[in-house]
Amino acid sequence: MILGLDVGGTQTDAVVLEDGHVRAHTKTVNRPELLETLGQSLDKTLAGIEPDKIQRMVFSTTMATNAVVMDNMDPAGMIVSAGPGMNPEWFSVGPSYHVVEGCMDHRGTEVMALDKSQVKEAIREMEKAGVNACGIVCKFSVRNPHQELQLEEWLGDQFGYKALGHRFSGSLNFPRRIATAYLNAALHKLHTKFISSLETTLTERGLNAPRYLMKPDGGTIRLDKSCEFPAQTAQSGPAASVMGALALDGCKGVTLVLDIGGTTTDMALVLDGLPLWVPNGIRIGEHRTSIRSLLTRSVGFGGDSEVKVDDGKKLSIGPIRRGEAMAFGGPMPTPTDAMITLGLMEEGDKDLARKAMEDIGAQLSLDAEKAAKIILEETTKGMTKAVIDFVKRINSRPVYTIHEVIEGIKIDPDRIVVLGAPAPIVAPMLEKAFNIPCVVPPHYQVANAVGAAAAKVTAEISLQADTQRGSMVIPEVGLESAIARDFTMAAAMEQAKEALFSRGLAVGADPGDQEFAVIEKEEFNMIRGGYRVGKNIRLKLALVPGLIPDCNCGGQQL
Amino acid sequence: MIRAKRKTGLVFFPAFDWAISPTHPEREERLLYTQDQVMEEGLLDVPGIREYRVRPAKYSDLQRVHFCVPDEPSMATESHLISAGGCLVAADAVMKKEVESAFALVRPPGHHAMKVVHGNRGFCNINIEAVMVEYIRDVYGVKKIAIVDTDCHHGDGTQDVYWHDPNVLFISMHQDGRTLYPGSGFAEENGGANARGTTINIPLPPRTGEKGFLYALEELVMPLLEKFEPELVINSAGQDNHFDDPITHMNFSAKGYAELNARLKPDLAVLEGGYSVEKALPYVNVGIIMAMAGMDTSTVKEPGYDKHYAPQAPDITDYITNLMGTLKDQFLINPPAPHPAKNGEIITTSKRIFYDTDMINENQDERLVRCRDCAGALAIDSHSSKGNKMMGVHIPKDACPMCQKMAEKWVNEALDNKKFHHIFLQDRTKCTYEVLR
Repeated sequence: MILGLDVGGTQTDAVVLEDGHVRAHTKTVNRPELLETLGQSLDKTLAGIEPDKIQRMVFSTTMATNAVVMDNMDPAGMIVSAGPGMNPEWFSVGPSYHVVEGCMDHRGTEVMALDKSQVKEAIREMEKAGVNACGIVCKFSVRNPHQELQLEEWLGDQFGYKALGHRFSGSLNFPRRIATAYLNAALHKLHTKFISSLETTLTERGLNAPRYLMKPDGGTIRLDKSCEFPAQTAQSGPAASVMGALALDGCKGVTLVLDIGGTTTDMALVLDGLPLWVPNGIRIGEHRTSIRSLLTRSVGFGGDSEVKVDDGKKLSIGPIRRGEAMAFGGPMPTPTDAMITLGLMEEGDKDLARKAMEDIGAQLSLDAEKAAKIILEETTKGMTKAVIDFVKRINSRPVYTIHEVIEGIKIDPDRIVVLGAPAPIVAPMLEKAFNIPCVVPPHYQVANAVGAAAAKVTAEISLQADTQRGSMVIPEVGLESAIARDFTMAAAMEQAKEALFSRGLAVGADPGDQEFAVIEKEEFNMIRGGYRVGKNIRLKLALVPGLIPDCNCGGQQL
Repeated sequence: MIRAKRKTGLVFFPAFDWAISPTHPEREERLLYTQDQVMEEGLLDVPGIREYRVRPAKYSDLQRVHFCVPDEPSMATESHLISAGGCLVAADAVMKKEVESAFALVRPPGHHAMKVVHGNRGFCNINIEAVMVEYIRDVYGVKKIAIVDTDCHHGDGTQDVYWHDPNVLFISMHQDGRTLYPGSGFAEENGGANARGTTINIPLPPRTGEKGFLYALEELVMPLLEKFEPELVINSAGQDNHFDDPITHMNFSAKGYAELNARLKPDLAVLEGGYSVEKALPYVNVGIIMAMAGMDTSTVKEPGYDKHYAPQAPDITDYITNLMGTLKDQFLINPPAPHPAKNGEIITTSKRIFYDTDMINENQDERLVRCRDCAGALAIDSHSSKGNKMMGVHIPKDACPMCQKMAEKWVNEALDNKKFHHIFLQDRTKCTYEVLR
């Protein structure tokens, strides 16, 4: 049996899967303490199930996200070297940020060495500031990590945890690398503590199976390994929903996934079972990072969105959620109240819901039913507009080759999978608006927890080989090696695959699972003075998000 | 928090799958390191900088500018259409006021492509700035436009396209034609009979440095722009004046390019040449983008600057000071007198054009109506060493009835003449392009 648990904004969903079927599912209202919430949810979900029957556990938590958003992180220092370009002071983050001289160019050639005395000074400053973790980021370190490694060595054992920029992502983006290293450093202590408490909570309950955390890229990582990359577990909720849609429905064709929650509706696109990614990285609070994430978008329309009438005539829905629907004792009218009033939903106090609608109706000179209808129409209209905008943005993403311009497939969803409690009510309205099939899969209420349970481990590596320089770098695994002048793309592919699989194994991938995707594959002749002096090879491979074998049945069994 | 002071659009199209030939300067690798630098700097994340997706231009977009012989598909490959289309995307972004300025960082370049196109000249087939200008005129109704060409090579293609157009001010700053391809761009080349003084050439000596370029900009280019009062300023932003460029001999820098751009404040910039793909382009482009966005560029410097950049030599400074004195006199103090021909008179000229990339020779005999009311009807009788004989008749945007009538007459004469393999009528008043033979 597999346990999947997703902590949401207001409540926690959990499921137990057995032989590909949902054996148990629960919803628990969140407690102020995350561990308390997790404990309650576990007890409720696993009632009557022998703990040793659980063979795998996956958690999607809000620990990292909340720490970033509430700025509860530990003070982390930063040492940065930049060289020419944008002023590195513009990316200053944290209480003790230091720019030291040093420069690496786009080919990974060291243009200016680091100055040890400046670094010593920075270390003294960080000590004074009382930081106990440190981020180390150099421009173009993914092309040559030498300076970051040098800084790591010079920093010695003074700081508990050192976040080296090139280890988190092989992508080019210096400001994002700074933000990513900083968040990992600042979250490290908190995350490690949380993981150890979670381990204790699980062990206490006799739950000893392999444990994983959900990541925003739709994949998972082994619980203990996540301490090396704490920020990579932030904002995993929307990804869990998408993976749930994949497990429950299969998502063939061009599928738009809509997860309607209390506060927001999350949208994502899945192309023949493969979810789309964001091109650069996720934004957590104010920080733009290089952390891989599924392409999801939140809009402020949910079942509990506040409904009010502005200026005595204009109906407005969301984006604020004041609390639950009035039918459940909340303070303001909501779309949920409209559904209850129209008899579309059984739960809740009908009289309170009706009172909410009468209140809105009075301001619009309408009766309660009419007001409820208009509210649902407007909610659907808002969602429809958001979906169209989402798809339009995806289709206007820049491309860089003639091939892509000519072949550039236009993404046009041919079906919608609707998740979340109001799914059966909203789906028919969306079906009418879009004129494509709107599917509500079984277990749509707990799809996020199913997604967490079913998601495979993901990993990614980037390779850059420069035969003129005679070097190959795979930053994520810290590999830098010399290559011969006749190094080829085929050889690069072998090296990249090996690195990907070893990285995958290290973070918990199933050794038998060697399915990977080529994300980027480019080869350039380097010409100087009319002659070919070398080749520049770039490769990016990934263990892409997918379902573990037990759950990979296109929703046939679940 | 950083933010662009001016909202800036960026159309980036490195065409990673196109080259003239594997070892040609205009090859796949050209914008590779620029892309690396732009991505690593995180420029596209800066609030206020927005990246746009390219779209291919249509053949009809090219027909506003060129007479392609024998036709558009044989002169413009997909890459040319996308490069030109990238400029149209940039133009839309500015004209729809989504951004204040936009930079089309595209390849292949276009400023050596002339009105008649038989093949590739100076790495160019299609004049991407001209395609953009004519698009802006048709779609957005803009009349007066200035193009400032800061590529190291004379922008002879753009000069040719706008030679007779008094509503487009074309200013080219370049390395003196006596020392560099294409060997033209002298001060005497100052516009056709109906457009005297709206073509300006500033031939700078080899080894011109930051000081010289900025001096020429302040002394001549800015005052000329002020006088012309264009509705839009376009920068043909070639980057081969750089001290590290392998095929030119100038002494400019990333800092200089950024400063020039910050002062010129173009509404639209289009990348032209620039072949120091590794040591100059990445930094020059970052500098230009930041300058367009109104950001502080004082930290932009190519790694080789301190070692390899030498300030402009005193003899060059003296030469440029003298040159500017002369040019100011010729263009600002005593602007060129109108052409003496009478209204309605036909002016004939002949010229030879060499296509260096494709090794084609072309002979042109041109007839122009001297006209005080419009840019004048134009007939180009062209034959190339490939054997193609063409007659192209051009009716300008604001053509007067007399010129329209004359164009009609020329078309009929051509139709009676069996020697032409191709006859085209480009009627800019109706925005049509007819293939008559």
